[in-house]
Amino acid sequence: MRKWILAAGAAALAVTAPALADPNKGGKGGNKGAQHAEHGQQGGKPARDHGAKGDFPKAERGGGKGQDNARREGKAFKPARIDGDRGKDDMRIVRPDDDRQGRGRDRDVVRVRDFDDDGRFAGRRFARGFDNGCPPGLAKKDNGCLPPGQAKKIVGTLLPAALSSRALVGPYRDWYRDDDRFLYRMGSDGQIYRVNRANSLIDALIPAQLNDFGYYPVGMAYPSSYNFYNVPVQYSSYWPDNDDYFYRYGNGAIYQVDPQTSMIRSIVALLAGDLSVGQPLPVGYSTYNVPLAYRDRYYDTPDAWYRYNDGYVYRVDPATQLVTAVIRALV
Amino acid sequence: MRLTRTFLLAATAAVALAACDKQGGQATSPAAKEAAGDETLAKGIAADSKMGAALKATGLDATLGGPGPYTVLAPDDAAFDKMPAGALDTLMKPDARADLTALLTYHILPGTILAEDIGKAIDTGKGKAVLATMGGGTLTATREGDAIVLADGAGGKARVTKADDKRSNGVIHHLDAVLLPS
Repeated sequence: MRKWILAAGAAALAVTAPALADPNKGGKGGNKGAQHAEHGQQGGKPARDHGAKGDFPKAERGGGKGQDNARREGKAFKPARIDGDRGKDDMRIVRPDDDRQGRGRDRDVVRVRDFDDDGRFAGRRFARGFDNGCPPGLAKKDNGCLPPGQAKKIVGTLLPAALSSRALVGPYRDWYRDDDRFLYRMGSDGQIYRVNRANSLIDALIPAQLNDFGYYPVGMAYPSSYNFYNVPVQYSSYWPDNDDYFYRYGNGAIYQVDPQTSMIRSIVALLAGDLSVGQPLPVGYSTYNVPLAYRDRYYDTPDAWYRYNDGYVYRVDPATQLVTAVIRALV
Repeated sequence: MRLTRTFLLAATAAVALAACDKQGGQATSPAAKEAAGDETLAKGIAADSKMGAALKATGLDATLGGPGPYTVLAPDDAAFDKMPAGALDTLMKPDARADLTALLTYHILPGTILAEDIGKAIDTGKGKAVLATMGGGTLTATREGDAIVLADGAGGKARVTKADDKRSNGVIHHLDAVLLPS
């Protein structure tokens, strides 16, 4: 009986208090129907089924600790591996990224990349500026790109019909994958929307302005608008939330965050976000960079090149210079 | 026993200390630690070196202690000494953290790039190869004699003095100058 009361209470919280988002349970691999068909993922069930425990998040203060009991045990599911030998790679359908070009937009804010002449993004500004109304931040102030007041207007609302098929663009497609509980859709203003499948409500926001703003500096509070467990799927088994540390993604890095104060303590990973299927290989990636342990399997030939980015090995067609497939996740 | 908040905080702190890495005092998750291996990039850069101190100040020592992999271009102390007087001191101040992070991430490349990989790319590229950095800018690699030279976005150059220090989570190449993004 108590379970239902908590669930009802949680639902109310989810609708009225945007900062209190569900943690990312991502029952990845357990529901093949939810996966991108072109991945052809082999993955079976995840190591843990978070679905059952995730229905009632722990009570959270502002700043969204967003932890369920499964996470607190410090174990995390393993994302399904996209298996690939050279002989039986899972080919992902080459799909030109027409989300990036040609899609009519009032404001050019939904770009994942801002290509310069070299085909690579131009330099980054640093997360202390005033763009998008975000104040420069120290300590307790938010320095994300969406002030919490604006976040509250979006979270808990119905996903607009126009966005329901707007898949994530670029590298985000491989960082946040639809699962049996959540969909991920490209929002506006540089956010990814995590959407609750059950009710189509926008459940949480993930910052997606990789190339517009630089890393949050250590010592800053992690922005409350995004403060839930949002580590990209390929890294979630390395860095699950636990009693001592939370892990949060933003603007190209994964941060170690103090659970009590939300202060960013360190940067545990840097994500380049440069490669994605269907995109041209950026000029800065003409150099082979596959991790040593994988070089015996993934080496350049006239038929195929391999390049590493953000936990994945990608295959590139040397003739067209297009990234054609995600071959392997390192975890 | 009643789990009071004070008790929990104290217990948390105790656990955090117990889990601390020797390097930089940063705790890390068991899975990440295992993936990083023993001889990490972080351990390959002396904590009392200027690069080491800068990495610690920005929290990037934890990045180099994690699974990676990354390619780190590490200017030696003498390289930092070549910067304009006071420049490094200014960068090490807390209010310059974003700038210092920008500078350091310009020296971190995605994946594992060995000297021979750069060499091959230079040859294929008819004399030069562009390298993407985590900071967002690019570097241009060329050969000067046997050495690899990297040109930065500000018109400066650094020579790779010692290449291919292979670590469990990447590789370090030592430089004789600090690269500037712009």
